[in-house]
Amino acid sequence: MLSIDERWDLIDKISKKTVKFGKYKHTLKDAVGELTVKPLTGIPVAVAVLYGFWSVFSSFAGFCTDGFLVKIFDGYWLPWLQNIFPGGLHNWLYNLMVDAGHIENGVLVPSDNCFEAFGVLTSGLFVPFGVVLPAVFIFYLMMTLLEDIGYLPRLAVLIDTVLHKIGLHGYAIVPTILGFGCNVPAVTATRILETKKQRFMMMTLLGIFIPCGAQLGIMEEVIPDTMGFVILYLLFGYFVFGFILNKIIPGKSPEILIDIPPYQRPTIHNVRKKVWIRVSGFLKVAVPFVILGCLIVGVMYITGFMDWLANALSPLLTNWFGVPKETVGPLVAAFMRKDLAVAQLSAIEMTKYQMITSVVLVSIYFPCLATFIMILKEGGKELLGSLAALVASVFIFGGLIHLIWILLGVA
Amino acid sequence: MNKYTIGKIYFGVLGIVTLAFGVAELVVTAGGDSFSWSILEIPNGIFRGGWGGVIILSAGSFYLSGIKNLSEIHQFSKIVMGSILIWIVAGCDIFAMITESIPGEEGWFNSLEGFLETYAPPYPPAIILLPFSLIVIYYIYKRKVA
Repeated sequence: MLSIDERWDLIDKISKKTVKFGKYKHTLKDAVGELTVKPLTGIPVAVAVLYGFWSVFSSFAGFCTDGFLVKIFDGYWLPWLQNIFPGGLHNWLYNLMVDAGHIENGVLVPSDNCFEAFGVLTSGLFVPFGVVLPAVFIFYLMMTLLEDIGYLPRLAVLIDTVLHKIGLHGYAIVPTILGFGCNVPAVTATRILETKKQRFMMMTLLGIFIPCGAQLGIMEEVIPDTMGFVILYLLFGYFVFGFILNKIIPGKSPEILIDIPPYQRPTIHNVRKKVWIRVSGFLKVAVPFVILGCLIVGVMYITGFMDWLANALSPLLTNWFGVPKETVGPLVAAFMRKDLAVAQLSAIEMTKYQMITSVVLVSIYFPCLATFIMILKEGGKELLGSLAALVASVFIFGGLIHLIWILLGVA
Repeated sequence: MNKYTIGKIYFGVLGIVTLAFGVAELVVTAGGDSFSWSILEIPNGIFRGGWGGVIILSAGSFYLSGIKNLSEIHQFSKIVMGSILIWIVAGCDIFAMITESIPGEEGWFNSLEGFLETYAPPYPPAIILLPFSLIVIYYIYKRKVA
């Protein structure tokens, strides 16, 4: 047993052998690191990083989906299934599994692409594997690289002031960015926030205003021209509703200290492992829900329930939100999977402005089932409050967008 | 003239040219039509022309603010950051070219002619600036050796 003095002597001996004393000289890495956290220089860098992120995401997703996977699914998989699956367009099982067809000049004709076929074996596989998988893969790859390089904590410092205005702090950027990949792990990541109030706010904002990577991938595919507006509306909603929630929800939003690691070179092993865990986790959640979504929506169409629902909700959809009543189908599908719903919207005839409103509505009207379950698990009974905020935001935000179109004279 | 005096002049000129390209991208984007002259093509889309233009403009500003007292590490890091911003935009442009050049319009893969055509000029400003921005690597190396 060592006495206190002996312990201190031992500490002195160890520190003399292991610690170098002297004036610390700033390295280039330190200086570059400082530039990325100071607002004046850090903001242009953040703008460039987000530009690179988005540009690589679009190029890679387009390369895989338009370059190869659409050709496989539309050129080979769909025609093959249409040929070998028994029944044909007037058979309910065929409609459910392969192709629901569509009406052209009063005649039911087969679909020529997997987006519109809406069968379990066509759209049900094309959406998760043909469109979403490349988008989610590249999203997680880039996010992991930013994380491992050490840029994410710097982004947290940079955005801390802005997020404090809505009652969150810089680390809220982690679940927010994760949410752009998949909302399910993002809800789990809200645990890094300090108080119940912050976690509740973050979960609510994630569920309503952050489109997941799957949805972004589909939007990039079906509405590339209007996607910027949709994201702008969602981000606007994120900050406005965050500000309102911060004012009405009781609780604290404390300051935090953020430890910034030095920039470092990412290791291939770590990146590969993280990307694999995230992509495989995503597929486990996405594929069953997309297939289930196709099945439920198909059954609702076949039984005529969807038409009944469309007629019942028609006054609300057309008068308040200004979208066609046919959007009720995608809204039902959005409860299962948002990406599936956006794909379904692309098959409905509407103006560019109605499409923007519809995609925003699909994004905000309800979190997908998997996220809903996760919020229920993480948030418990507070979920009811989150749902109330959600209902209010759908009506206010949806009506507000319609009002903007009316004022601009385009609705 | 020592190497830092040459560096000051070089990055000063590069900064002015980069800044001018950034302004040109924003003006062209605001105008609505893309602009092409010789091997240069200034894109006009909101994303590539607008957002990209802001980044090129920032890169120019980094260069110009870093040339004073270039030997000092914090000033030199601004020059490095200016180059990094150009690398990000140019890297994205080159990656987009690669992803466009491989798949074919009708068949699986592009023809050799179509493949090579994708890489032919005109080029956006960031790609033209790219080789000039690489000089910073020499200065990083020299600093390391010293």
